[in-house]
Amino acid sequence: MAGTATLPRLVDWLTRFRDAVAENQAYLTELDSAIGDADHGSNMTRGMNAVIGKIGEPEAVDALFKSVGMTLVSTVGGASGPLYGTFFLRIGTTAGAVTELDGEALSAALRAGLAGVIQRGNAQPGDKTMVDALTPALDAFDASLSKGDDLATASRAAADAAAKGRDDTEPLVARKGRASYLGERSAGHLDPGATSTALLFEALAQALA
Amino acid sequence: MIGIVVVSHSPALADAVVALALQMTGDNRPKIAIAAGAGDDVIGTDAVRVAEAIDEVASPDGVLVFMDLGSAVLSTTMALEFRESTNEVRLSSAPFVEGIVAGVVLAAAGASLDDADREASSAMTAKNAQLGTPEPAPADAAPQQPAEAVAEATLVNEVGLHARPASLIVSKLGEFDAKVVLSDADDPTRSTQAGSLLGLMGLGLGKGTRLRFTATGPDAAAAVEALRALTADGFGE
Repeated sequence: MAGTATLPRLVDWLTRFRDAVAENQAYLTELDSAIGDADHGSNMTRGMNAVIGKIGEPEAVDALFKSVGMTLVSTVGGASGPLYGTFFLRIGTTAGAVTELDGEALSAALRAGLAGVIQRGNAQPGDKTMVDALTPALDAFDASLSKGDDLATASRAAADAAAKGRDDTEPLVARKGRASYLGERSAGHLDPGATSTALLFEALAQALA
Repeated sequence: MIGIVVVSHSPALADAVVALALQMTGDNRPKIAIAAGAGDDVIGTDAVRVAEAIDEVASPDGVLVFMDLGSAVLSTTMALEFRESTNEVRLSSAPFVEGIVAGVVLAAAGASLDDADREASSAMTAKNAQLGTPEPAPADAAPQQPAEAVAEATLVNEVGLHARPASLIVSKLGEFDAKVVLSDADDPTRSTQAGSLLGLMGLGLGKGTRLRFTATGPDAAAAVEALRALTADGFGE
């Protein structure tokens, strides 16, 4: 039972996310080849490998996520670099120089991350982007916490909601990014960014279980 | 002089566009920094590198940034949060190739950030005119209002109306309160606003062409006379 998200747990989250994108590299790229430029799997794998390579033993949550964000910005190459980079950078600045996050603090940090992604990409829910997995995940996380659930339960609810959000991107017509050039033809495919975001929350649920 | 930053997924693409643009400037080159690729032969963009590039060419006159696709724009908006310089930075919405050519030429000619940004953003005008595509914006067609002054002069420069004479026309015109259309007197369908550097260059007017300046506005007569004299003088060449 996880009372707080400690630094080792946060590192475990990121490591699990790296493992998940590496394992799903071909799948993410396949999704991206349908509606994008066929590099999401390789980009995220390269970026997260660089993140884990540099992670060491961080002393504080803000330093950890600053390193994660800056590394992604410099190594991913595609749009997910600035988007995931902003997400993690905002988590770091919001969390501050602490060594663990309780549910409320983690929620605030994740919310700041989501706000950063929306600001960076100008995407709204329904545009067929990572926002479509992030938004329901955070809503479910907060709803669970407000019922008095612990972090393990809340992060499981977030992961399930992110997965549903990912599935719900399939019929949508893309309005952002490379996929938007396809117009109506982008419908009928899962969004690669929402798919990797679902992996991110599945990794969080496992790390906080 | 404004600085120019070129953000591309591909170093080869960025290098080639910059080489193309520099063909049109003399030795008076603006500072240009390239931020292209995401290292290790990765096709992509790197916000940290974009921030460095902006800082490399930072100038009190400002920096104009050109981006190719998608993540180039995201990385550049992010770079604005990382950069150390504090001068004005403008992100151009211009098409990549035409915009960079225009931006570099205008920067070399000493254009302000506003002027370079505006001209680069209308950089498709010349190509549209060449292809006979209707203008998306009405700004560049021959005016409907009656002309108030007209003057003609023959283009004597060996290489025609290239970048330098075109920029001289644009800057000379700036001294007057007048709207001037330049056309080929023998083929008036070839015409453009004389204040548009790219429009002028896009006409591809060669030596021996009879230029017609048609002006409206308070300074119409003085403007066409000045442009006529400039042309007859071979633009000082």
